[in-house]
Amino acid sequence: MSLRSNDRQWGSVAKFFHWLMALAILGNGIFGLCMDFAHSPMQKIGWFAWHKSIGLTVLALFLLRLLWRAVDRRPPDEPGPRWQRAAAHMVHGLLYVLIVALPLSGWWFNSLRGFPLQWFKLFNLPALTGKNEELAHTVIGIHEYLFYFLLLVLVAHAGAALKHHVFDNDNVLRRMLPFGKLRGTNSQGEKP
Amino acid sequence: MTSFARKLLPLLLAAAIPSVAGAADYTVQQASSKLGFSSNFQGQNFDGTFNKWTAAISYDATKLATSKFDVEVDLTSAKTGDNDRDGALPGADFFNAAKFPKAHFVTTTFRQNGTQVVADGNLTLRGVTKPVSLNVSFKPQGAGATLDVTGTVKRLDFGVGGGEYADTSVIGPDVKINAHLTLTAK
Repeated sequence: MSLRSNDRQWGSVAKFFHWLMALAILGNGIFGLCMDFAHSPMQKIGWFAWHKSIGLTVLALFLLRLLWRAVDRRPPDEPGPRWQRAAAHMVHGLLYVLIVALPLSGWWFNSLRGFPLQWFKLFNLPALTGKNEELAHTVIGIHEYLFYFLLLVLVAHAGAALKHHVFDNDNVLRRMLPFGKLRGTNSQGEKP
Repeated sequence: MTSFARKLLPLLLAAAIPSVAGAADYTVQQASSKLGFSSNFQGQNFDGTFNKWTAAISYDATKLATSKFDVEVDLTSAKTGDNDRDGALPGADFFNAAKFPKAHFVTTTFRQNGTQVVADGNLTLRGVTKPVSLNVSFKPQGAGATLDVTGTVKRLDFGVGGGEYADTSVIGPDVKINAHLTLTAK
């Protein structure tokens, strides 16, 4: 498997970004919803610090991913009905928007509350805006609902991938799987 | 000695003694004075003030031996611009103001360190008394003076934010004291 994508499957860098970010976003989102269960204020502070650090990491990974996407070639769509390909691209676009909107809305909330923003205790990032506790109340709601919305979009994204994998038996999911072997005549995916 | 002189002498002595033996006493103008502190939370500095405190100031740069600061601070009056933090500070984990409502600082000696005057004293906070030194900058102005004081207190010396709050990678170990007092002569 090469670092770069080819005409049949995604390269290992694209796969790395895809799966690491999927794990980080899902994990951090579920973790974020559980943070109220902290048993002490200091534990809550620590959990929030992790949540914020992971969120910032997702934002940084996204920027790197965009850079990589700009230089990497992308495999063309697998054959399929036009509406399916359009829907897939729409869902991808929506996911990209949400990947940015989730950390940014968290950063925005954090700024409105006047909390420090520290990345794994290593360095601090500035506030996006001044303190406004009333608006913060609204923005934390937006932050949370964006995650629920992302879960919905994810159902479409992962559901479609599984549908292709299980019912259509094609390469849509295989070409993104970490150690996926492609189906079909040119199963190596790349020429030696 | 006449009876007049006998009556007058103690009065004269009484009037003379403070100017000979003691430093001048000052009254603090609370409205233009500030007792501030600053520390660090998650890599970000924050500033706070105590809104209720009293200070008895006797000071003369030429009579350091008889100069004295005696400061009492109401620990429920700390404001740092964050409601959560301000709510937590008087609590049992930090100042424990219910049990120890006031902090008390009283000087023991003043010394000259180069050009800097340093006030050594004892700070009693949260039931613990430990020595604390403050840099003193006293500037006479007309009938009064301004007094600026800075120093550092190690919060854990006094158990402020002990237990799980003792993690100094989250809450900084040092609390910097900065006070600006406007004084008028008594």
